[in-house]
Amino acid sequence: MPGIDECLLEAMALPGARGAALVDWSSGLALGTVGESPVGDHETTAAETAELARAAAEYETFAATSDPAARPAPGAAGGGPGGAAGAAAAGVGGPPVEDLIVTTRTGYHVLRFVATSFDSSVFLHLWLDRAEGNLALARMRLRDLAEGLVLR
Amino acid sequence: MTAGTAATGAVSPLLTRLAEERATGALLRDRGTLFLEDGRIVHAESPATPGLEILLTAGGGLTRERWREAVDRAGARREVARFLVDSGGLAGGELEICHLAAIFDAAFFALSPGSGPSRFRRGATHWIGSVRPVPAEAVERETVRRRELLDAVWPYPLLDTAPVVPREAAPGQTVTLRQRALLRAADGVRTPAALAWALGRPAFHTLLDVRRLAAAGLVETPREPAPAPAPAALPAWMTQAQPPDVALLRRLRDALEASL
Repeated sequence: MPGIDECLLEAMALPGARGAALVDWSSGLALGTVGESPVGDHETTAAETAELARAAAEYETFAATSDPAARPAPGAAGGGPGGAAGAAAAGVGGPPVEDLIVTTRTGYHVLRFVATSFDSSVFLHLWLDRAEGNLALARMRLRDLAEGLVLR
Repeated sequence: MTAGTAATGAVSPLLTRLAEERATGALLRDRGTLFLEDGRIVHAESPATPGLEILLTAGGGLTRERWREAVDRAGARREVARFLVDSGGLAGGELEICHLAAIFDAAFFALSPGSGPSRFRRGATHWIGSVRPVPAEAVERETVRRRELLDAVWPYPLLDTAPVVPREAAPGQTVTLRQRALLRAADGVRTPAALAWALGRPAFHTLLDVRRLAAAGLVETPREPAPAPAPAALPAWMTQAQPPDVALLRRLRDALEASL
């Protein structure tokens, strides 16, 4: 039964890994952290990466629907009675965005969304050293770790 | 916000002391209960928040039958969480994620300023069992951060308890997936707490989303109630005690005695 700590420690085993966290992007809470934070404070980093993840996870441009007809009409915010099924699907259908990569002068940040069987909003954040890190490897490994967290 | 930061250590002096003592038991307050084991928080629940059962079952990922089976079969030995994972109902990571969400959510309300006096029942444990203990200090810090976050987003606390009334989006305004789900469930009667139950989301997350929606103009911000009018002074003839009319009372007594 791999838990949050095991998952984060495995992420830190990647070459060039400097810090890792599991963060709730709705509230900005760090559920678990290991290693360093780029600003010296994991809570600040969690709150900041959460804002970035929230934007990516929520906006329609990044929603995975390839069929434009399946998209809700723009501005359909009102409480129309016909939308209950859509609400349920949005809750448990898995995040449309898989990961987010931010490249800085000195490092890479990979944010990988975690799909849970209940309504949640969590992602894994891995911070890599630019010189030592292997972005392609890290991305694949984070995918596996995110899946491992929810594997029964 | 500075006031909140200054109060970080004062969320609950009793909790701070219990954590230092590495106490085990239940800290009971009006708006929720925190369970401690060796000074760390192992569980929390609050009548203001959907509990683990609702969070896990509302989306259909875990059936209510499976939850009940776990409580029936492992509740007495206080290992419900472990049973859920061992029986394949839930992944270990999922359980930790959901349980942490429930702890911080319930703690936010249990430790809220209006939550009344604290009592500690030493030795009390919860049937959910051990999942992933959290330092009490982390829970206190997060509780303060959450209070500040709500007011930083949109400082209208009335939104937290009033029915959520959606407004039309402006032309071209983006309404995100989760916001849409919340707005669809907002029927003008449900409060944020009721929406949290309906959607199977933590109550704090719903408060925060409602504040964000109100800030974006997608939910009505309730007006501050008009200040209650100063109670009109009662006329002197109503308030001033009048001396009893002794003569009248005497006549009444005499009449009553005469009729006996």
